Amino acid sequence: MVSLSMKKRITFIFIVSALLLGLLVVRVAWIQFVRGDELQAKAIDSRLRNIDIKAKRGIIYDRNGSPLAISVSAESVYAVPSQVRRSQRVDEIAEALAQVLELDQEEIKNKLNKKVAFEWIKRRVPDEKIQELKKLNLPGINFVEENQRYYPKGTLAAHILGFAGIDNQGLSGIELAYDKELRGISGKIMIEYDAAGREIPNAMHHYIPPTDGHSLYLTIDETIQYIVEREIDQVMKVKQAKRAAILVMDVKTGEILALANRPVFDPNNYADYDQGTWRNFAISDAYEPGSTFKPVVAAAAMEEKMVKPDDRFYDPGYIKVGKETIKCWTRNPHGSQSFVEGIQNSCNPVFVTVGLRLGLDNMYKYISGFGFGAKTGIDLPGEATGILVPRNRAKEIDLATMSIGQANAVTPIQLVRAISAIANAGWLMKPQIVKEIRDSENNLIKKIEPEPVRQVISQKTSQDLRAILETVVSEGTGSKAYIEGYKVAGKTGTAQKILPGGGYSTSEYIASFIGFAPADNPRIAALVIVDSPQGVYYGGQVAGPVFRNVILDTLRYLEIPPELPAKEETKEKKLVVPDVKNKAVNDAVKELKKLGLEVRIEGEGEIIVTQLPPAGTEVNQGSTVVLYTQNAEDQQVIVPDLKGRTIKEASKILADLGLGMAPQGSGLAALQEPIPGEKVEKGTVVKVKFISPNAEPYEETIGP
Amino acid sequence: MSVKKSQPDIVLFLTTLLLLSIGIIMVLSASSYHAMLFYDDPYYFLKRQIRWAVLGIIAMIFFMNLDYYKTKKLIVSGFIITLVLLGLVLIPGVGIEVKGSTRWLGVGSMVFSPSEIAKIAIVFFLARSMSQNPERIKTWKGFGSYLAVLGVVCLLLLKQPDLGTTIAIAGTAFCMFIAAGARIPHLTGLATMGITGVAALIIAEPYRLRRIIGFWKPFETASNEGYQTVQSLYALGSGWLFGVGLGNSRQKFLWLPERHTDFIFAIIGEELGFIGVVLVILLFFLFIWRGFRIALCAPDRFGCLLAVGLTSIIAVQSVINMGVVTGSLPVTGITLPFVSYGGSSLLFSLIGVGILLNISKYAQK
Repeated sequence: MVSLSMKKRITFIFIVSALLLGLLVVRVAWIQFVRGDELQAKAIDSRLRNIDIKAKRGIIYDRNGSPLAISVSAESVYAVPSQVRRSQRVDEIAEALAQVLELDQEEIKNKLNKKVAFEWIKRRVPDEKIQELKKLNLPGINFVEENQRYYPKGTLAAHILGFAGIDNQGLSGIELAYDKELRGISGKIMIEYDAAGREIPNAMHHYIPPTDGHSLYLTIDETIQYIVEREIDQVMKVKQAKRAAILVMDVKTGEILALANRPVFDPNNYADYDQGTWRNFAISDAYEPGSTFKPVVAAAAMEEKMVKPDDRFYDPGYIKVGKETIKCWTRNPHGSQSFVEGIQNSCNPVFVTVGLRLGLDNMYKYISGFGFGAKTGIDLPGEATGILVPRNRAKEIDLATMSIGQANAVTPIQLVRAISAIANAGWLMKPQIVKEIRDSENNLIKKIEPEPVRQVISQKTSQDLRAILETVVSEGTGSKAYIEGYKVAGKTGTAQKILPGGGYSTSEYIASFIGFAPADNPRIAALVIVDSPQGVYYGGQVAGPVFRNVILDTLRYLEIPPELPAKEETKEKKLVVPDVKNKAVNDAVKELKKLGLEVRIEGEGEIIVTQLPPAGTEVNQGSTVVLYTQNAEDQQVIVPDLKGRTIKEASKILADLGLGMAPQGSGLAALQEPIPGEKVEKGTVVKVKFISPNAEPYEETIGP
Repeated sequence: MSVKKSQPDIVLFLTTLLLLSIGIIMVLSASSYHAMLFYDDPYYFLKRQIRWAVLGIIAMIFFMNLDYYKTKKLIVSGFIITLVLLGLVLIPGVGIEVKGSTRWLGVGSMVFSPSEIAKIAIVFFLARSMSQNPERIKTWKGFGSYLAVLGVVCLLLLKQPDLGTTIAIAGTAFCMFIAAGARIPHLTGLATMGITGVAALIIAEPYRLRRIIGFWKPFETASNEGYQTVQSLYALGSGWLFGVGLGNSRQKFLWLPERHTDFIFAIIGEELGFIGVVLVILLFFLFIWRGFRIALCAPDRFGCLLAVGLTSIIAVQSVINMGVVTGSLPVTGITLPFVSYGGSSLLFSLIGVGILLNISKYAQK
């Protein structure tokens, strides 16, 4: 028999055990019902692995909706090694992959034998290889779409666009400045894994779709940009310059219509270029503007009524400021002249005199007023502020030299904005590069309105100075920028380059030209800077013609009508171009020369396939007829230059060559893709953009 | 001794079989994935569990029919053999080492752990000794001598090292001391000593200390020390009332370690929810209730203490195991009796049940 005290003690042990079990029930209830949701969420979270799906980067368009940077998708190949192994065809699959993708077979085999859920085989594979692989239908080998940035226009607007890196991250230019907007939000595929990284049976799959990035509409106009790029290439080639920059601005809104620098890079292969070529020196580098700064000084002096247009000055060829002597740029002194003539002649003694009259306080008031010495706030990374002589350290000699555009360093964007303010009734605008932000469904997210900063000079001063600057082109040093029919205002600049150790170079110059048009009702301003041109280095000679070409083509493109009636052209003897198609080259040349026409032959064939202008066109004596030749059996043709052709003409020329045409716009052909001279297969479709002109075709000429 | 046999305790018998069945099903569910991965056979652990369960049931029925008091003569020699085995397992080359502990003896798939024998052996030894001389336990000297014997066994176990079995045996012995009438000051003194001893052992071994830290702040050490506790709580927490369904555990995909052994209770909580958990706890409650009832109704002091000891083994182990799984106690390495996968442990648990059932045949009421 068990004693009573033992019974009591055993009962006690039992009660304690039962209590502990009861506590466990409470504890489990707390874990499951109170903390259950939290624990389950954490548990799921720890078992899920994320595979990021990159959002499609937004498109960058020009102001008219022509794409400048797009995201193209390329497919990537990956393996699910466990599936590959289950098929028991590892060797065979590795061999097939190695063959199609041109990879090392052993390396692929190693990848396929890895104990992982996911393994890249090759990323961003050309489509034909993908198709080839898909046909093989290899088990465990899958494809996923990935995005890649593509700049369809190559180097066009490269410095504005910048570029995005391998992971679609903006690295420079607009791509960097608007990275947040363009990037979008990555999506995710979440898959449940076991603790060793294998996908588990009946795994949970979550798909969170990515939100594509916003698109940007720039203020850049592709056509004007194209004109600028064409001119900058030309001047670089002809003048063998070190660097060059051209900016075109809408004076009323501050919008950048075009901006180009040389040297340039192709954002599609930015890594292949020297990093120096990535630099957007139109906004990132300061330089001494020289005489192109004189309009600013003139504006200040006229606004402060320190000088009137007909005030007389005398230039003995130099001017003494304290102990220093400042020479005029020419050996022959300008002698007695009015202020207007002083500007036309870009006379240094006149401007030094005016600057000294203005005084340091006023000079600084207007320099800051026009936005020098501060960032313009343009939405591009790496903007420089420029360097001004500090106000408290500025002496009389500094005042004198800054009056002729020395001593202070400014950025090209600051200068073109200042001339725009002079043209725009004195209103200084914030330079703009982005016009609109739209989401991937083209809904407007943000519209960027023109932003006036301040009025620097009065409407009256603006008007007077516009008239004076117009005479610089019509009568003065800026004559190379003269355009028949239009009133163009401008100012030349020839600045000696500053040597790295200080002082001025005697052999290297910066030739520049700044101006706007039409002078009476300004619409566009442009600045052309050519760094270290070979041979003739005067701004008027080197940059003037470039400026002229840019302004003329832009005015025509924008359909701004000429203000002045064109002079009567001297009647020349007209000829009718004969049809030389399908003739042998030698015969054709003979026939044309006999009529007094020049001949240029394109291609190395023996038979003329097409001719420009076409048969029956009336031309002046001595005009050039371009003959496109081809070998009978040759399937490749050379893309002709269609510039200035009507849609009908262009289509005929292309059809004769066996090419197709995708026209865009109306008027005369201005841009085309592929570019003239490129060899293409017969049957290729050439994209041609037509722009309506108001004037007769314009002939490219360049100074000096 | 008056021999008046009645039917064995059917509730205890059925409770045991129910726990055993739940165990077999859950071992399959918890182990099939990694069994497939590592042994290419999802039923690898199930087959072994069934084999041991069958063997265990045979042993249980055998001991159910072996009159418990007839074993008295074998107890001393059996206890000495147990000590020898415990010593043998420590000899390098003889004991089989798994995960840093040498706990097993045997060849091939038929391995057993002397620790399991030790549990039963100490219960028999103490029951016999404390029933032969009921007054000895109440003296300082007597109590001390029992502690000395217990100490030897514990030291041998700790050498392996096998903290889990040590705690189970110490807890069981403590229950038997209470039942046998040890003086309260002696017991509180022993409890204090035991707790200090355990604390010392924990501090002495860095891996044990880390486990304590893991227990204390599991989520802050979730990637190392707290990993087991955290994954166990994840499993339990995912269960809610009805669980994710039998076979649908996610934590068994290698996330929860020891998923079919020490942490099988967490998989039960995940798959069968609160209902399943309460059912298992209820079954253990029934088992303990019937076990102590058998002790209370035992015909003699030996049978009573034997029943207390055998029931306590199950009570101590189940409470500690479930305490660990619910994050209420530090990780010790104790399995859930009848449910967890484990060969010899299951066999000896069932032998214990067989003996209990045999004692129940002599119930006096």
